[in-house]
Amino acid sequence: MKLSKKIVLAEDNSILSKLLQFKLEKEGYQLLIATNGKEAVDLIEGNEPDMILTDIMMPFISGLEVISHVRNKLEKKTPIVVFSSAGQEEMVLNAFNLGATDFMSKPFSPNELIIRIKRLLQ
Amino acid sequence: MMLNLPEQLINFFDYIFFGFAIAAISSYIILAIISAFETVNYMKKNSFVNYTEILSSSISPSISIIAPAYNESLNIVENVRSLLSNHYVNYDVIIINDGSKDDTLEKLIEAYDLVKVDYLINNQVATKPLRKGVFKSTNPAFEKLIVVDKENGGKADALNLGLNISTNKYVACIDVDCLLLEDSLQKMIKPFLEATDHKVIAAGGVIRIANSCIIKDGKLLDINFPKNSIVRGQILEYLRAFLLGRMAWSKLNGLLVISGAFGLFDKKIALEVGGYDTKTVGEDMEIIVRMRRYMEEKKAKYKVAYIPDPLCWTEAPDNYKIFISQRNRWTRGTIETLKKHKKIGFNPKYNSLGILSYPYWFLFERLAPIIEVLGLFYFLLLIVTNNVVWDYAVLFLIVAYLFTVLFSIITIIAEELTYHQYTKRGMGKQLIKTAFTEPILNHPFILYAAIKGNFDYYFNKSIKWGEMTRKGMSSN
Amino acid sequence: MVELLQNIVEALNNSHPIIQFCTYLSLFFIAIIILLVIYLKNLRDRLRIKGRIEATYKKKYEAELIEYLYADDDKNNNLQQQQIITYFKKSSENRLKRKLIIATFLKLKNEISGETSDAIQNLYYQTGLIDSATSKLKSKKWDTVARAIRELTLFEIKEAHDEIIQLINHPKKEVRNEIQKYLVKLFRFDGLEFLNVLENPLSEWDQIQLLEILNKFNNLEVPDMNNWLQSTNNSVLSFTLKLAKIYNQYGVKDEIIALFNHADIQIRIEAINVVAHLGIYEAVAVLKEDYFTRSLDEQIAFFKMMEEMAVPDDIPFVRDHIENENFFIRISVMKILNLITVDDDNTFKINTTATDFTIDKDLTIAS
Repeated sequence: MKLSKKIVLAEDNSILSKLLQFKLEKEGYQLLIATNGKEAVDLIEGNEPDMILTDIMMPFISGLEVISHVRNKLEKKTPIVVFSSAGQEEMVLNAFNLGATDFMSKPFSPNELIIRIKRLLQ
Repeated sequence: MMLNLPEQLINFFDYIFFGFAIAAISSYIILAIISAFETVNYMKKNSFVNYTEILSSSISPSISIIAPAYNESLNIVENVRSLLSNHYVNYDVIIINDGSKDDTLEKLIEAYDLVKVDYLINNQVATKPLRKGVFKSTNPAFEKLIVVDKENGGKADALNLGLNISTNKYVACIDVDCLLLEDSLQKMIKPFLEATDHKVIAAGGVIRIANSCIIKDGKLLDINFPKNSIVRGQILEYLRAFLLGRMAWSKLNGLLVISGAFGLFDKKIALEVGGYDTKTVGEDMEIIVRMRRYMEEKKAKYKVAYIPDPLCWTEAPDNYKIFISQRNRWTRGTIETLKKHKKIGFNPKYNSLGILSYPYWFLFERLAPIIEVLGLFYFLLLIVTNNVVWDYAVLFLIVAYLFTVLFSIITIIAEELTYHQYTKRGMGKQLIKTAFTEPILNHPFILYAAIKGNFDYYFNKSIKWGEMTRKGMSSN
Repeated sequence: MVELLQNIVEALNNSHPIIQFCTYLSLFFIAIIILLVIYLKNLRDRLRIKGRIEATYKKKYEAELIEYLYADDDKNNNLQQQQIITYFKKSSENRLKRKLIIATFLKLKNEISGETSDAIQNLYYQTGLIDSATSKLKSKKWDTVARAIRELTLFEIKEAHDEIIQLINHPKKEVRNEIQKYLVKLFRFDGLEFLNVLENPLSEWDQIQLLEILNKFNNLEVPDMNNWLQSTNNSVLSFTLKLAKIYNQYGVKDEIIALFNHADIQIRIEAINVVAHLGIYEAVAVLKEDYFTRSLDEQIAFFKMMEEMAVPDDIPFVRDHIENENFFIRISVMKILNLITVDDDNTFKINTTATDFTIDKDLTIAS
């Protein structure tokens, strides 16, 4: 049997991350949950995920730094999807400059996210 | 032996000291009552505000955090990281390295991939020249950061350079070792944006004491009550000043001080009055008085706002030597500011600033320690001349002590009803214990420092700054 | 013992009135201190229990909500969903628990859209939480009313419109603002009709919040702004100028040009500030004509605008200001003449092609 794909999710809204975890695990992915950027970086270094989902605005290490760390320090091409809020257009631009793969603007539809993840992981 | 002091003289002094005590006590009670009403009002107004709506908005006004750093090598990287993680969108962080003799700048360059850039500076206020120049990060994740290296000129001078450097509408002047909570900027900017029929020129925040608290990764994780009695006393003192004092003054629109550790200013007005005064050790108080004076003279409707939420945490002195030198400096700052602006005192042209704030500050901040010490000398004189009526004297002390304790306990209750930061079991007991011990353990040193400040101001002009040695904020 | 006490009381009765007064005052203080300490102990205990309840139920409600939404994907789970609804309904009879349930719902609803968001709204109806919010609209306390409107806004309850609109002239500013946000969030630009009759100032804080709400929607049909740009309410002018800029309303250029002569200097400056964004070229001549009679701040705004609007014909006029006393005007002139290039972050480069100008004395180059 093929091993399920690993996704690191960095999101400080506990209930949103729980919902996404349920939905994505139902789709057959393995979820690793971080509540801030630092935990995310640790999880990424320890688990070599197939995909990273990260909120831009997070305590201590921002989503931008997570991207920067993955692309520049770890030199990995793992797809990264960032979650942004309205008004953070500039940050989204920065995220793409740093090497983000895609972004979802909050509020977003969980089902749409799943579709995008599936496409990126094909 | 009983010397006969003239009875009239004794009566005269009795009346002065007794009158002063009554005036002080009544002013405390009045301020506390105003505070109570204002706090309830504030809590109601802000109970349903959603700050996330404004923080994420790119049309929200721009703010610069200006933080002077002098020999901060130990914690600078962590401190800057904490400042960069604020949840406001439209802001930048300007670190002014004020001629540090250690490797503060080098640490920043390494941690944040800084490179030197050509930067437009509008020299609106004169400052000491740049040393190595202006630095920015090559990493887009740190694009909010500007580091400026200049020659040493003191805190006020460094802040002035920050005012010149900033391109934003508002500036938050802070101590670099302060821990700002993530929503601090949007809470502080609110009064500026809400005002419609007046102008808000500055807003002051609350300073909370971070000693013994656990801070990790630039976040306040756990609030503890320190063991050290000097720090404990200061916690109570700060609570009293912020919860019961400043809240009332903001209602009366009579705030004279915004703590230098965290204040937000309308940059245009701060520059119009000429920035910070580099000749005083009380630059944080002085600029507010000057800005207010400027607005009064322009006959403009204005306000100095105050945000009671615990947004800024900083370390307080934990030994008597540093504590005394800090208070000594505050005393000299107060004297200098009041002297420089004596024109507004008791001057009805300056409205409540002239007839309420200034006199209050003069009487109960500037003169109080002097009157207290004179009272002690008078008491000694009475003892020596055997003129003491002991039952009066003892009872008078007991009443004063009990009132202080009572006032502190009311403060603790106010804290519990509003922000309730000291949640752990046993902290209530420790707070109450501190209310009883503080007048004995802390007050004499505050009094001593104030007198020494007066002495230094008049007879010892060479002393300028008190050292504040830093202990690691990030270590637990 | 009793004798001792009697002696003290007697001594007190015979002493001077001041001594008596101070003694009674001390006893009074001691009594209050004791009472307050007991109250404080009690208060802290209550707060601690409340904190524990909050933490426990927050977790519980989050789990239940996830369970409900998860079951939503499966059509056979109706029974389970019904049980969760009943559970929330029962819990929400308690005030604290109701507050926690609503907070839990909103914590998720604010971050997501689509069917999951609809499911949460549906849950809000089914649990009857909507009824408790609408009934609060009749409360006499302004903060209760404001909070109820806010809740109805966040759950996007359009049915409450008729009841809420009756409160539009509420004496309290906070309530009126919540109503404005309700209207805009649920009815988009149609909700902005209140601007036609608004008499009170709309603070910048309110303006940002309204713009932020509108910003969340795409492809909105933008209404006609002419009327609002002729409003006698300055804050409506200021707000509409922001709208015109964000939604690129070139069509209102005549109204904007008319605002150059508005009585309020702030409005004049804001009007000049949108010129470049909308590319209203005929405005340049209008402003150039009476440039010298305008205030310094307007002149600065004019040159800032010219950075993007200057055409070759303007160069002589611009060049005359290269020695201007004002820093911002000088910088604008140098940018227009292409002597320097300034980036968004205020870093700059000197363009070597134009060497006949020296960067002047008051411009610090940090290098």
